[in-house]
Amino acid sequence: MFTVLLIVHGLLAVALLGAITHQAVSVWSPARKPAGSFVGRFRSVPPTSYANAIVVLYLITAVFGAIVYTEYRVVVRVVLEQLELWKQNGAFELKEHFAAVGLGVLPAYWYYWRAPLSGEHAKTRAVLTALLAFIVWWNFLVGHVLNNIRGFGS
Amino acid sequence: MTVPRSFPVFAVVFAAVYALAYVVCVEKNYALITYHPAIYEFGLGVQKAKDGPAMYWFGWMATSGIVAAVVAYAACWLPEGLTKRLWSGWSWAVPVAVMLVFCYLLRSYFLR
Repeated sequence: MFTVLLIVHGLLAVALLGAITHQAVSVWSPARKPAGSFVGRFRSVPPTSYANAIVVLYLITAVFGAIVYTEYRVVVRVVLEQLELWKQNGAFELKEHFAAVGLGVLPAYWYYWRAPLSGEHAKTRAVLTALLAFIVWWNFLVGHVLNNIRGFGS
Repeated sequence: MTVPRSFPVFAVVFAAVYALAYVVCVEKNYALITYHPAIYEFGLGVQKAKDGPAMYWFGWMATSGIVAAVVAYAACWLPEGLTKRLWSGWSWAVPVAVMLVFCYLLRSYFLR
């Protein structure tokens, strides 16, 4: 069952990663002219439309992650400690704390992305988006690496 | 969807206080609940490990969430003259600082 939950957690994380990356890039490097290239179109998405989806995806991904974490604590972490993989273990410790900090930021993130957007809070909005993007990228990569270390179904 | 006028105050204070409370909860182990994953059992407060490891992460988040919600709700009742001067950047500055604190606290994992 945990394998299924882990796969769903991973799929949700991919969706979240795509949404937050789109939004972060369109905020920090917006397209100035009609987009012709793939990168240009990537930058020119309407970022406001992503906010609600990002909040919902973050929450659901975190719930699945929290469930999977209980199995990780018993099955995977012990192995990492036996193998003396301290950096990987530390990276996961950061993942859990970053994810928790990200949860606390969500109300403010949601509020500052509400339409109509306030020009006065553009910087706050941009930094909150970058912060969540960093957390999501870190957690995705660390989760992926640790999953590779333990191996599927082992 | 309409939100109360005080919601930005709540959101900014919540983000800042939650992050601060979380790092304190982790350091002092103020967990509202403990989970014992090996026996699928929740317990109230901080409990010692039994038949496997004990997980406090859920408890730290619960404690921090309650503390932050109470403080943020109280902040909404402050005079508007005060809350108008609240910098919205606290909503990211404090969480970023707390994340850096965690990097420092966990440095031993990366320096072995």
